Amino acid sequence: MSYVSLIAQLYGRSMYDIATDHAVALSAAIALLVFILVFVRALSFLADRRVALALQLREAYATTPAMAKLAAILMLLSGGIHLALVPGHDGITGQLFVIDGLGFIALGIAVFLTSWWRRPAALWLLATIVAYIVWVIAGWETPDQIGIACKLIEIVALGLVLRLNGRVGGSWLRRAWRATAFPLVAVLTTLGIWVGGLAHPDALHAHAGALLQPVAAVATPEERAAAAQLLAATRASIARYQDPAVAIAAGYKPGPASSADPLRHFENQANRNAILDPNRPQALVYAQTPRGLQLIGAMYQMPRVGQWGPDPGGPLTQWHQHEGICFSPFGIEFSFETPFWTCPVGSTSITTAPMLHVWIIDNGKNGPFAADLDKTIQRQLTGRS
Amino acid sequence: MNHATSTGSAVEIAAVLVVVQASFSLVAGLSALPFAIVEPGFRILGLVTILIAIGMFWLAHSLRRPRRWAWRWLVTMELLSLAITALLGLLPIGAVRGPVPVLVNLVIPLAVLVLLAARSGDRPTQAGPADPA
Repeated sequence: MSYVSLIAQLYGRSMYDIATDHAVALSAAIALLVFILVFVRALSFLADRRVALALQLREAYATTPAMAKLAAILMLLSGGIHLALVPGHDGITGQLFVIDGLGFIALGIAVFLTSWWRRPAALWLLATIVAYIVWVIAGWETPDQIGIACKLIEIVALGLVLRLNGRVGGSWLRRAWRATAFPLVAVLTTLGIWVGGLAHPDALHAHAGALLQPVAAVATPEERAAAAQLLAATRASIARYQDPAVAIAAGYKPGPASSADPLRHFENQANRNAILDPNRPQALVYAQTPRGLQLIGAMYQMPRVGQWGPDPGGPLTQWHQHEGICFSPFGIEFSFETPFWTCPVGSTSITTAPMLHVWIIDNGKNGPFAADLDKTIQRQLTGRS
Repeated sequence: MNHATSTGSAVEIAAVLVVVQASFSLVAGLSALPFAIVEPGFRILGLVTILIAIGMFWLAHSLRRPRRWAWRWLVTMELLSLAITALLGLLPIGAVRGPVPVLVNLVIPLAVLVLLAARSGDRPTQAGPADPA
């Protein structure tokens, strides 16, 4: 249910999506939190009625420091998530999830009943985080939002456990290590997930930051004909805008010029609600060539984020949306969002509404509806490497 | 558990969360630098982000001392962060989607604010635990 509510209007798909077989973990995490809350209340209720075991457990709970309590809850949460993910993972990964989940639950309980739990908990958390990074970089696991959220939980738990260590003094080297070890784990975890995600993008990522519409693998003859018709109609419709001045007179506004991007989009806000209408494309695409601007295509765009457009050509007319991108306030400049959804200060994470390019020039092996202009064609047009 | 211990724990938990935030900011700042080669705006944004991340590490460290100015700076920064996230979440630009952005950009700043508020009552006299760092 939690997954369904997320993938509705507000969610769509994203760069680090929720893998279908991981969705159950969201519900498990929520259920576990509710269970912990009910268990603590029930314990208190029974202790008030002088039940011996409940009295002992309540005493153990009351004398546990708040930091340790939070670390225990986070470890129980991580354990529950790992166990919920077991059915979707075969082989060694599934077996490790069982061991990991049970280990976290045992350590979460040990927090309230033992005094020796800190070092095993720190090692268990660190081993789990390192194993995840190894799995992601090796391509055995795709980083998705459940996996990343689980690592966030474990990083915070590790930070709490390390702070509970409470050691003071020692050489400056030892103190420096204690101060930097935890931030280093957080930084390396982020970088590790990022490297894994970029090194092994799934089939729906045209490149980092562009997500493709899910479509069938092979186009039918009817879809091929419809795609050819869309290309012809678009080419005929936008031929009148070869001169950028004509496009501007028709209401298309040139986007900012960028030294990083030799393509310029001229957008027409009046067409924003048109849907795949060759007579009213949302934008025209020009290449900045040594001879001036050259019209090379049109761009159709849907009115809203997460709303895929009609694809008459099936896999040939596959829409894409840009996401996981941090836009700077200094014009068309962008960097990539980190797996933990952070952007440089001042820039904004933006997901565009789905778009479909129609290239009216030969776009090489990428074809006329590709998300990107073929790099070789782009170099030939713009004279830039 | 007495009040002083619980507020001490609140500060410690808040400090850990701020260190996590600072680490994520540091990566965001560092990641902007390769783009800064061709995008001059990101040179400024990347460097500012790294400086803010370093500042947050220092604030987390100072919060444990305890320092009143660290408390004030952190409350201001977290409030600002929450306000910006809430604003971006209302805009139709898909800035907050899924559990990770909700946890990082909403839950953690809110948790830090609640923990700092718990400590606000005894701010001037509360002796924090010794800092091993």
